[in-house]
Amino acid sequence: MNQWIAVGALGVVAVGIPLGMMAASAMLRPTVPEQGKAATYESGEVPTGTARVQFNIQYYMIALLFVIFDVETVLIFPWTVIYRPALEEGVSLAAVLAPMFVFLGVLVVGLVYAWRNGAVEWVESPRAQRQKTES
Amino acid sequence: MLGLDGVVGAVVGGLIGAFIIANVMLTTTAIAGPWAKRKITASFTDRIAVNRVGPFGLLIIVADAVRLLSKELIVPDGVDRPAWDLAPIVITFSALIGFAVIPFGSGLHLADPETGVVFVFAAASIASIGVVMAGYASNNKYSLLGGLRAIASNIAYEIPLIVTAASVVIFAGTLQMSEIVAVQRQPLVTFAGVTIPQWFAIVNPFAFALFTLANLAEIGRNPFDLPEAPTEIVAGFQTEYSSVYFVLLYLGEFIHIFLGGAIAATLFLGGPAGPVLPGFVWFYLKMWAFFLFTQWARSAVPRLRIDQFLNAGWKGMLVLSFANLALTAILVGVIV
Repeated sequence: MNQWIAVGALGVVAVGIPLGMMAASAMLRPTVPEQGKAATYESGEVPTGTARVQFNIQYYMIALLFVIFDVETVLIFPWTVIYRPALEEGVSLAAVLAPMFVFLGVLVVGLVYAWRNGAVEWVESPRAQRQKTES
Repeated sequence: MLGLDGVVGAVVGGLIGAFIIANVMLTTTAIAGPWAKRKITASFTDRIAVNRVGPFGLLIIVADAVRLLSKELIVPDGVDRPAWDLAPIVITFSALIGFAVIPFGSGLHLADPETGVVFVFAAASIASIGVVMAGYASNNKYSLLGGLRAIASNIAYEIPLIVTAASVVIFAGTLQMSEIVAVQRQPLVTFAGVTIPQWFAIVNPFAFALFTLANLAEIGRNPFDLPEAPTEIVAGFQTEYSSVYFVLLYLGEFIHIFLGGAIAATLFLGGPAGPVLPGFVWFYLKMWAFFLFTQWARSAVPRLRIDQFLNAGWKGMLVLSFANLALTAILVGVIV
């Protein structure tokens, strides 16, 4: 219990430091209300449109894969913790290893399926392919 | 601690410890950001860098701090206000709170929960939420791309990172940081009177190499600095930030580098172990060694393209890290 009180104390300090720096800066810095400088930065051009645009679907595909593998790592961790103590208590190697290898095997099949379907392949737009300069 | 008992004592003691650790990390970052980074890059590119203000240019730290804090805060058109303001706080917070479970050595160890390894990775991962908040809320196309790249790189390399850490947990049989350090203190072999300790970097150098690479991607340093990529998307997610907000983003990133170094040192390099010098000094040196490594990579290795980067993550690192996990499990099964 004490452990988590200490972690919480660092959490308070870790929020307090940014807030303190913001407060210090708010007292130091000038404020010059002039609208030209508030324009969105687009390398000196006049900004066009909003930034809430469509983007590459690839980012979603990868996020979906990530969810699967993340859940899996959560399930691997308890096994890694008990693995060595169980062996030292005399449980046979096959009994601790086999279930996890079956579990990993199912995931490997899943990864192979995703791989062959091109889910981990970077999809290039026709425009990007036209503009390619290398082979 | 301090003769205080109960919850009040725990809170006061925790706050004092937290204050010490936060100040150590702030000082480290203050040295690393405005001064050491410039000096190191200058050495790599055969220049002198800051040398006018104070001895070795060290007072540039003070000058830069005052300069950056007293800059005007420019709020661009169309930013998503609460998220834009919160992002710097989230990034700094997540990098700092990870240090709660890191054993610095010489008794400086704030908390030692039984789930230390899981906690430190969970805390460090919050930073990517802050990056996405900054990228999306800025209403800038460069920032949006930077935020998307940050999330793609984080999720592609986080699994190799954690699975490689799991192989250390298989060796140690515990998630507690102090126990992992204690296991690494045992001797591996004695060779001509010199005892080599059981550091996991020595026991399994392959896992250490994988972990270091995944760590570089996780903290977004070269050759994986795609979220910022100054030659492609201006400054990525931090394009629209100025004044103290920019300082906080930068601070968070630097603390994150040192957190990455601290995790690598704890899991693979024996934590605070080392001859002659006290533990804290050794731990601090190991963190700086990792920082120096990131700066070397910054000067020496070109940046990957986003598709190469994600392919390497999903097809290379992921498969290798699972192979490493399986092999480690078999190896431990054979030697126990």
